[in-house]
Amino acid sequence: MSTEALIQVIASGLLMGLIYALIAVGLSLIFGLMDVVNFAHGEFLMVAMYATFGLWLVSGIDPVLLAPAVTALLFVMGALVYLGIVRYAMRAKANIGMVQIFATFGLAILIQGLSQYFFTPDYRSISNTWLGGHTLNVFGVYLPWPQIYGGVISVLVFGGLYLLMSRTDFGRALEATREDQGAVALVGIDRNRVFALGWGLGAALVGIAGAVLAIFYYIHPQVGATFALIAYVTVALGGFGSVFGALVAGVIVGLVEALTAVILPSSLKAVGVYALYLGVVFVRPSGLFGRL
Amino acid sequence: MKMNRRQLLMSGVAAAALAPMGRMAFAQAATEVVIGVVYPMSGSNAQIGVDAKHALETAADIINADYDLELQGAKGAGIAGLGGAKIRLVFADHQADPQKGRAEAERLITQDKVCAIIGAFHSSVSATVSATTERYGIPYIAADSSSPSLHRRNLKFFFRAAAHDEMFSKAMFDFMDAQKKKGKKIDSVALFHEDTIFGTDSSTVQQKLAAERGYKIAADIKYRANSPSLTAEVQQLKSGDADVLLPSSYTTDAILLVKTMAELGYKPKNIIAQAAGFSEKTVFDTVGDQLVGLISRGSFSLDLAAKRPFITKVNELFKARAGRDLNDNTSRQFTALLILADAIDRAKSVDGEQIRAALAAADIPGEKTIMPWKRVKFGPDGQNEDADPVLLQYVGENKFTTIYPEIAAVADAKWPMNA
Repeated sequence: MSTEALIQVIASGLLMGLIYALIAVGLSLIFGLMDVVNFAHGEFLMVAMYATFGLWLVSGIDPVLLAPAVTALLFVMGALVYLGIVRYAMRAKANIGMVQIFATFGLAILIQGLSQYFFTPDYRSISNTWLGGHTLNVFGVYLPWPQIYGGVISVLVFGGLYLLMSRTDFGRALEATREDQGAVALVGIDRNRVFALGWGLGAALVGIAGAVLAIFYYIHPQVGATFALIAYVTVALGGFGSVFGALVAGVIVGLVEALTAVILPSSLKAVGVYALYLGVVFVRPSGLFGRL
Repeated sequence: MKMNRRQLLMSGVAAAALAPMGRMAFAQAATEVVIGVVYPMSGSNAQIGVDAKHALETAADIINADYDLELQGAKGAGIAGLGGAKIRLVFADHQADPQKGRAEAERLITQDKVCAIIGAFHSSVSATVSATTERYGIPYIAADSSSPSLHRRNLKFFFRAAAHDEMFSKAMFDFMDAQKKKGKKIDSVALFHEDTIFGTDSSTVQQKLAAERGYKIAADIKYRANSPSLTAEVQQLKSGDADVLLPSSYTTDAILLVKTMAELGYKPKNIIAQAAGFSEKTVFDTVGDQLVGLISRGSFSLDLAAKRPFITKVNELFKARAGRDLNDNTSRQFTALLILADAIDRAKSVDGEQIRAALAAADIPGEKTIMPWKRVKFGPDGQNEDADPVLLQYVGENKFTTIYPEIAAVADAKWPMNA
């Protein structure tokens, strides 16, 4: 393989990695806040993609401009899922982890089924957008504009998250709640409210990812499953609950996946990512940036 | 309610009088022909199952109601050999999972008492379902699973009326040889195939044919189905830049392949696809503008309607249900049920062994089907060797023209596709 082709693979892997990070960060945030793994995370992504598609179909507005609306919609959905389902699942007296897993897993299957019923299992795709199908050619290395856009958004989102977590009261409340849920109640922070906002934020983040992905990926009730597995390994690799671990891990996953496909037969390309994760488990069981 | 003796006696008499009616109703039910159908109704290929349901229901309607079509099995209401018994289809979802397929087949046989099963799109699922039907001694019709290994397992109850991928791939290479004779330059091919039995079997045949007929293999990429990204794979295709790209992909990967090729600025000189995803309307709806000139192997051609007008009628009936034209997959599913109904008609029985014997003796002329086949006659391995494949070229706006073989062709191939 020529140097040019190798640079292409690395550049594509890097862009895809930033998008993986963007997809994974919401999952990591929710886990860090309350130790709940949202098994419907991929379905949130799928809903965001359908929302983008639907809004685009109805309004004709470019998906780039629709991203804020989709993000807001997913924020509401995330908060409602917490208030309507997860809040009750957390009240279980025994096997609380299992109850949460089955609650969100059941939700995932419900959302999939409803999507297939209402949206049909036909594949959808958004066409003729500002970015879709356009490619930046840098000396023979092709960088698709939708993915450059996704990468830039991802970096901006992580920057924004950093500011939110470190500079705002809400961010500090999030941080404090994850440190000690009992103690925050004593200083007048409503735990339920923080959790609902946390779920809203986590879903809003995957909403942005969905709005980006909808520009260049097919849309289908099963599309979440394709990305959810990668999101889980990204979160585990970066360290459960570590927001910036998700960024680093997402990029690593993107690069390792792309390079594995070059070195090994492409049907084995997921092997590299999981082998790397197993390696990390041996050395740092809680992930690269997880708290030990 | 309290009963006196007389009332009790009366009710007993009434029950005795009603009993034969109950038995009659039961006898009526027994002449209903229950057929199992195993398709992906959920999961990433759910649309295949939804369309298959429409195709098979269209066929069942044509069998059960009285249509005047020149189709084997269409005349008269119901199955004549069983006194006009109606076909009832029981659908099951295999979710593209061979183990779920096996379990569903078992359930259909033991609980729904089906007398035969039709399936399954995915060759990997057909493999497990046909092993199950063999064990229970009822026929399995692989309507649209095309892996050649399926009929080479010495199964007594396995039948496939359509072509398999060796026949399809041979047609592709025959076509390329013909183009070469016309002075077109075709030196190399690139194989791009998914990693289940469909893709691997398809590529094994294509490798063999390429070696035999002197085509260089510029790239041979076995990729992981349903990957989130195919960039590295397409980069390798681009580096190889073969004269013909031969993809064997299901719908998801077909869409992603085409999108990624466009993103990386790679326009293959020609594509000849092993159908599957590349015969699905949804692929052409989403990325069709980049596929004009694509050639796909097929089992069906709407162009044939010029010679057999009843195909138009069948297509209309199907379209009324499904909202789309018959394609490579749905035409084969439709035909599978008619062939099965014909066999049950001649067997005059719903016994698995007798239907099997009737299928083995089937000889249906191609003109009495909607397919471009010479005839339907199964060999001892259950394969119909007379199912001639066709090659179709995509001309845009969800339309295909038949370009090969010459007897079926209505237009010359545009070659190279991106000229």
